Amino acid sequence: MNISNLFNPLKWFGASSPLLQKNKEFFADFDQAQPLSEYTFVVCDTELTGLNKKKDELISIGAVMIRGLQIDMSSMFHCLIRPENIDPTQATLVHRITPEQLAQAEPLSKVLPQFVDYIHGSLLVGHHLPLDMHFLNRATKNVMDGVLSNPGIDTMRMAQGYKRVRLGHYHEHNPRTTSYRLDDLGREYDLPEFKPHDALEDALQTAYLFLYLIKKFRKGGLVTLRDIFQAGRTGSFRY
Amino acid sequence: MAQSGDVHKVAPEMAIAFFRDIMPFNTLDEAVLSDIAHHCRVDFYPKGTRLLTTGETDITHLYLIQRGGVKAFIEDDQGEVCLKDFRGVGAYIGALGIIRGTPANLNIETVEDTFCFLLPKEIFLKLVEEKPSFAHYYLKSFSEKVVSTAYSELRHQKVSRRSGEDLYLFSVKVGELVKNLRMVPDTCSIQQAAAKMVEFHVGSLLVHAPANEEDIVGIITDRDLRGKVVAKGLDYNEPVKQIMTAPVLTVLSQTLCFDVLLKMMKTSIHHLAVERGGRIVGMVTSHDIMLLQGHSPYHLFKEILGEQEIRGLYVLAQKIPDVVRGLIKEGAKAGNITQMIAILNDHILERLLILLEEEMGTPPVAYCWLLMGSEGRREQTFKTDQDNAILYADSVDEKEKNAASVYFKAFAAKAIDHLVNCGYPLCPGDIMATNPKWCQPLSVWKDYFSRWVDTPDPAEILNATIFFDFRSGFGATELAHDLRRHLNKKARAKDIFLFHLARQCMATRIPLSFFKNFIVNKDGEHKHQLDIKQQGLTPFVNFARVLALKNGISETNTLARLKALHESDCIDQKLWSSATDAYELQMQQRLVHQLSQIEGGTLPDNHINPEQLSDLEKRMLKDAFTVIERLYSVLDKIYPIA
Repeated sequence: MNISNLFNPLKWFGASSPLLQKNKEFFADFDQAQPLSEYTFVVCDTELTGLNKKKDELISIGAVMIRGLQIDMSSMFHCLIRPENIDPTQATLVHRITPEQLAQAEPLSKVLPQFVDYIHGSLLVGHHLPLDMHFLNRATKNVMDGVLSNPGIDTMRMAQGYKRVRLGHYHEHNPRTTSYRLDDLGREYDLPEFKPHDALEDALQTAYLFLYLIKKFRKGGLVTLRDIFQAGRTGSFRY
Repeated sequence: MAQSGDVHKVAPEMAIAFFRDIMPFNTLDEAVLSDIAHHCRVDFYPKGTRLLTTGETDITHLYLIQRGGVKAFIEDDQGEVCLKDFRGVGAYIGALGIIRGTPANLNIETVEDTFCFLLPKEIFLKLVEEKPSFAHYYLKSFSEKVVSTAYSELRHQKVSRRSGEDLYLFSVKVGELVKNLRMVPDTCSIQQAAAKMVEFHVGSLLVHAPANEEDIVGIITDRDLRGKVVAKGLDYNEPVKQIMTAPVLTVLSQTLCFDVLLKMMKTSIHHLAVERGGRIVGMVTSHDIMLLQGHSPYHLFKEILGEQEIRGLYVLAQKIPDVVRGLIKEGAKAGNITQMIAILNDHILERLLILLEEEMGTPPVAYCWLLMGSEGRREQTFKTDQDNAILYADSVDEKEKNAASVYFKAFAAKAIDHLVNCGYPLCPGDIMATNPKWCQPLSVWKDYFSRWVDTPDPAEILNATIFFDFRSGFGATELAHDLRRHLNKKARAKDIFLFHLARQCMATRIPLSFFKNFIVNKDGEHKHQLDIKQQGLTPFVNFARVLALKNGISETNTLARLKALHESDCIDQKLWSSATDAYELQMQQRLVHQLSQIEGGTLPDNHINPEQLSDLEKRMLKDAFTVIERLYSVLDKIYPIA
């Protein structure tokens, strides 16, 4: 929290930026009973400097929007972020992002409000979403004084739920024997292939997986968002 | 929404790559593709989802299949379903409805989990309006589309694409080639007509009746002026009526250039009048089509006709596979391709035998060079063994008979040698004109067929089936007709012979297991493969042959036989269309298979490994095989065992 906030009474009780406020109000009385096609989903993926939850930083956000249960190619989000500490020896090499590219990118304080605006009113979807949410919320706390209120859906848990439904509840089933990695699931369901370790391509891959699973669920009679949450136990509102 | 630069304008590379790989989008430049990709949506339809319903669904966007496959079908009032098409990766759905502004004309349902790109109707229509290649591509008939889909995968793998001018021969209608109609009345003098030709820079003029411009009565060409006027010293003031060629052959304006080309090659007439709505609207010449085609089958055809040395034919015959490859790349139907191969092979044969006759002197009696088996049926693919024979007229006396026997023995020996040099391998079963048994006068040939029909010996019939597909390759065609009439008369009356033929046909097992899996060879050289010729195509050929003989149909081509059987009500519409589709599909797969073998440097064969086919191809092939059961049940009703 900024020092300056100490002198602003509005911020004493954790008051956050107007964008986050608006977001919070939108989801305050959120209706889970609508048909799935009524919701807007943003499928996102983040790239990080590393996996240390305390130290590491966001370096890229990629996201695609799903409206009417269709991926909308005309509204995608892809930004590089300049981290505070650029260490060229770290995981950045995996993402094929060079330190020079990062040095030229916008800082978090510029990029994040754009992203919050982009996801306004949408449900967030991601593969192993809690990890992305952790870093996103840490970032919003830093530069926007609050956390995201968007409900989230984790496609990894959806996939586990789908497998449970398909194999039957009484089936001897050990989830640890099957891989739920994004690329393994893509192969298992014969989805189109994408370039791994690029935030936008990974977001697209996740979007394809999400579309696949949600429509398979819907064919099985799960037609509202609540159905999805309950039947597959695929997500929750709290991260 | 706060937008910064190109953040929201990114079109993912995978979407652009998808469009770059499919026709006709592959003709567009990157900027346009990127814009198209940007405007798309992606949707997923689980297996069994209905996308379109005939007459009901308003189509709001073009569907392009990224993953999976769909089936197209129609349903009649009784709920009876008739399958029309399978479409797989790269194929489109809904184009016709959008172009015509009508609801869906087919039911579409996914047969696999399917991802589609959805291109908004407005953008698609704009492309169709602005890019002529788009309209041509999408308005092609259904059957051609199946083929181009089947070939598109191959095209991607094996063939470097030519810039925008693919498919002209199969997409351009002759009406589009026609320029201004140039004509003169038949009373016009030769000199005036020649002056007009100079003025218009044309090599030919149509000639109309004096009072009525719509009544086209003939045509004059440069050649007429040369041959009939200048060479003969005819008075230039004579009316053109004296020298014109009449009547004029016409083609309908909507005829595809490919079919016009076939017509020109068959008739050797190179100027055709083009008719639209009952009126002549212009003329098309072989030159016009050659310009369209660049390096063409027509070019080879002309080279063959002009060849003066038998040795020269060796080289030309070797060019046929190249031409065929070109046709496959252009997405021609299998039926068209085999027809083109037959025409080119026939011309090689004709030229060869004419030159050989010049060398050896006129034969003592008229003869006909018979083609058997797949050549007889006009169903050759890349490499076909020679299956031929000589049929000559009966002699008036012993002396002539001996002369004929000596002449044709020597003639056959030379002809077969030349054919081998042209690249047609010898027949392993020795069914060739060099075998004395198959170089005989008409009366002997009639005896052969009488014996096969009257006292059928199943083992002998098995070896003789290919003889029943004979046709005239060159020479006195009436001899072959005479023999065909004899056979038809004999066979129709002999049910016991047809019974054997039918039962033999049914002895070929359908290559599908009880669970509809492919039955492949378990071991040996062709382990895990199936022989698409023996197991897949032959049942159709045999079926068509039996019923053609039973009903006195003289056609030898399998598709033509099936059509004739349908027209004479021997098989119903449904069976005819499924059998035709199934047969063409397998021919295509065979051609594609052989082409890839040739390009890979191995000798073409008929052994296909089903595991190497795409899911959609597998299913289409299985469907084709199931038609065999229906053919057998028809035969079984006519020729029951008991």
